Amino acid sequence: MTELVVGTTPVVIEETRGFWEGTLVGELRVQRCTACGARQLPGGPCCSSCWSRDLVWEAVSGCGTVFSFTVVRHAFHPSFADRVPYVLADIRLDEGPILTSNVTDVAVEEVRIGMPVRVWFDEPIEDAFHTPLALPKFRPE
Amino acid sequence: MSTSGMIAIAGVGTTPFGKLPGRSAWSLQAEAVRNAVADAGLTKDDVDGLFTEPQFSEPLLLHGHVLGRMLGLKTDYLSTISIGGATAITLVQQAAMAISAGLCEVAVCVYGENAKTGLPMLFGLAQMGRGQADDIAYGMAGGPVMEARSAMRYKHEYAVTDEMFGAVAVSFRHHATMNPAAMYRDPLTMEQYLASRMVAEPLRVLDCTIGASDGGVAIVVTSAERARDLAKPPVLVAGMGAGHNLDGLKDPAHYTHFAGARSSQRAYAMAGIGPQDVDVAQFYDCFTSTVLITVEDYGFCKKGEAGPFALDGNLKVGGRLPTNTSGGMLSEANMTGWNHLAEGVRQIRGECGARQVPGAEVCVVSGHGGFQAAHATLVLTKGGR
Repeated sequence: MTELVVGTTPVVIEETRGFWEGTLVGELRVQRCTACGARQLPGGPCCSSCWSRDLVWEAVSGCGTVFSFTVVRHAFHPSFADRVPYVLADIRLDEGPILTSNVTDVAVEEVRIGMPVRVWFDEPIEDAFHTPLALPKFRPE
Repeated sequence: MSTSGMIAIAGVGTTPFGKLPGRSAWSLQAEAVRNAVADAGLTKDDVDGLFTEPQFSEPLLLHGHVLGRMLGLKTDYLSTISIGGATAITLVQQAAMAISAGLCEVAVCVYGENAKTGLPMLFGLAQMGRGQADDIAYGMAGGPVMEARSAMRYKHEYAVTDEMFGAVAVSFRHHATMNPAAMYRDPLTMEQYLASRMVAEPLRVLDCTIGASDGGVAIVVTSAERARDLAKPPVLVAGMGAGHNLDGLKDPAHYTHFAGARSSQRAYAMAGIGPQDVDVAQFYDCFTSTVLITVEDYGFCKKGEAGPFALDGNLKVGGRLPTNTSGGMLSEANMTGWNHLAEGVRQIRGECGARQVPGAEVCVVSGHGGFQAAHATLVLTKGGR
């Protein structure tokens, strides 16, 4: 079976624009509902708690812990062939939401559930429509 | 109001599974339908309902309309849906509902795929929609990578060992050795399992469903009354349930608790049974970890106890909960849950030869998809004639 290769760059849409704009100025942003206070990721068209549309993008601390992770040892997509093994992790931000990202700057064998991590931002890139963004990644605190 | 016992599965049809070069998905779907309708002792002209899951390898709108035209059907009711691994059971549920609502009388549900030898398969994430698929940027490509984080959290919370995952793979392969239709029929030992390549920790290659298979499965659904006079013993749809964890892995609870708990409770209640009444299970086995969590969600074990339960051999024919008696998607074929339905029907009809569970009268079948999002359940029981 041949696989049709699809791109691996995020696509910035209206619901995620505030998140990606934050990454260019070194801010990890979470969407907050000004009506009920709930925080959510990824961004959406309304607050998934109360359906209000009064949403703002707000910088958070960038600190969190590894809620779960995997050490990827087989590249299922050619773009990651020279990266294996790498850590794909779900980071539970101190402010609540879970963000999927990579844990870097540590031996893959040392990553643990509960490990405190802090965000850093990769070099800016462009999505398919030339909108700039920078991928947030995490390293041990 | 419930349809319990009013609807039956009257026929099941399968094609060979494996590597079938030169066969299109359409041809496999057509063969499965033909076999299922013949199995029921019906003809093409009896079919007035069609329920389809489109092939991944050739996505298109109106899949069921295209297939129905190819088969020369004159259907009154038709539905095409795609909700991952919960699709097969959901389509049978929809067929049952359409029949009980009087919208059709004889429905065929079908899936067929030539993923092994056919057209390019798109990466699943790419189909999830712009802006929602950004996790691929971090390397979240491929089913095992997506599922591994649930498996890792489950191991962490309940002290599950590698051998407990391995027991699932070994048990299902044991069943496949007795299934001439299975793609992988060589016996599998725990040592071989533990030596298999790690792909996305904690998942080894033998924790994962067979990646792609060519093949097709079709199921004929009709009223219990009509099924009574057909060619094969009717298998009653005694209970149906569904549940959806729409937050997926954005909700911390969903790593270790699937919507299967809600789905199975509803199905048990409709059937008037509990887990203690189940003789045989066919559980969606995209990964070994998925099976263990499902065994718990369905009330066969307390949370965290499915691993030791599997290690004690309870998932094997002869154990307390014979599960995936065909080998499932880990060893028989990756028919995205459709082969579980076929096997469930055949177990209740007593057609499974060496792997038959003696006296099997109640079978529970699960469908599970979308990485913890979608779940559906059927309870199948032996019907009278």
